[in-house]
Amino acid sequence: MSADALFGQAGQIALLGWAILIAGPRRYAWLNAVPALVLPAILSGLYAMLVLSRFWAAEGGFGSIADVRRLFADDWALLAGWVHYLAFDLMIGAVVAARMDRVGVTRLVQAPVLVLVFLLGPLGALLALLIEALRRAADGFPSLRTPTLSADLSGATR
Amino acid sequence: MTVSPVAARRGAATAAVPSGMASLTAASAALLLLCLAWAAVDPRTIGGDGVWLKPAKFALSFVVTFGTLALVEARLSRGVADGWLLRGTTAAMSVAFAFEMAYIVWRAARGEASHFNVGTEFGALMYQLMGLGALVLVLGIGVYGVAALRDTAARMTPGLRWAVAVGLILTVILTLPTAGFLGGNGGHLVGTPPPGGRSWPLLGWSGTVGDLRPAHFLALHAMQAVPLYALWRERGGREITRTEVAGAAAAWALLTVLVFAIAIAGYPLIPLG
Repeated sequence: MSADALFGQAGQIALLGWAILIAGPRRYAWLNAVPALVLPAILSGLYAMLVLSRFWAAEGGFGSIADVRRLFADDWALLAGWVHYLAFDLMIGAVVAARMDRVGVTRLVQAPVLVLVFLLGPLGALLALLIEALRRAADGFPSLRTPTLSADLSGATR
Repeated sequence: MTVSPVAARRGAATAAVPSGMASLTAASAALLLLCLAWAAVDPRTIGGDGVWLKPAKFALSFVVTFGTLALVEARLSRGVADGWLLRGTTAAMSVAFAFEMAYIVWRAARGEASHFNVGTEFGALMYQLMGLGALVLVLGIGVYGVAALRDTAARMTPGLRWAVAVGLILTVILTLPTAGFLGGNGGHLVGTPPPGGRSWPLLGWSGTVGDLRPAHFLALHAMQAVPLYALWRERGGREITRTEVAGAAAAWALLTVLVFAIAIAGYPLIPLG
């Protein structure tokens, strides 16, 4: 397969994962596993094959910006780097989504944050982690805790 | 954190019940922190202010607004807080908030204006959408006000509940005309400031010509001012009367109108020369 074709397919795999993560229900463990584990594993496998079979032919390295530029001048090395981004951004997205679920951040607030992880990886991750930290901090202030009807029914304590 | 019944059945220890307003407050605060960090590394300016200033001001305003609504929601009766009306309102406000902040931050990162930037077709369309988003947010505040007004089982003294309702609804009544006028004015100034004209530190309100923003500020913060007044008057177990709350609201409204009138006449709120 050509590098361009693989680029397209890897992108589609990632998009599927993001669609499920951002818009899909979270109540099915098997569905959550798709963007969290299954698709990152597939992308990681693709990355592994690329690195093992194609990386070594490329010049350059990781020692300086000039070295990295030389490395990524090769289409296959660049493709591998891109698949690296796709795999890890998706995995991180799933992790911060689960963390935000745990502290009770609503899906509508999560959605644009996850879109930001998709578009600008670490910036979105930073925002997600900050939001999670602030929710945890806020729960230390009694007046901001919001018990709801369902919690009352379940007998959960504040 | 409370535990949802589903999570409790599955034995999970701490999966929390989602709260829209608390989530929005945290998201706004996170954006504010991001803007402050951005200020440290980006020297670009637009119209004399750092590009990160407008996003930061909006983020702070959202922290205050959503934080206030979260505090109110926590004291409403469970049936009202969990009802479809408030859930739907919070959902609509979430979408509007995300859109507004995304656009304002995006424009600022590009060193471009987000408000009044109607020179291009795209800019003009986005400005209309921003107006719509702002309308959703302001009306949402009003819905919470009406909900507080009607929720006699809320966990607040009757006086405070009345003050909360009046404050929230007053914000809507005052903000719609002041913000509407501001939006249609093509800019926040009335008159042309002289070169080197001074303005308020940080807020940037004009010290030389009329500036519509102070009135917008007062209008928006009626929802904190009236309840805070009631809280202050009710300390020590006293009870505030509806008449007194109405009086406080009327005074705030009068102040807002006065500040607005000064601005429209082209005079600065505080002359700074």
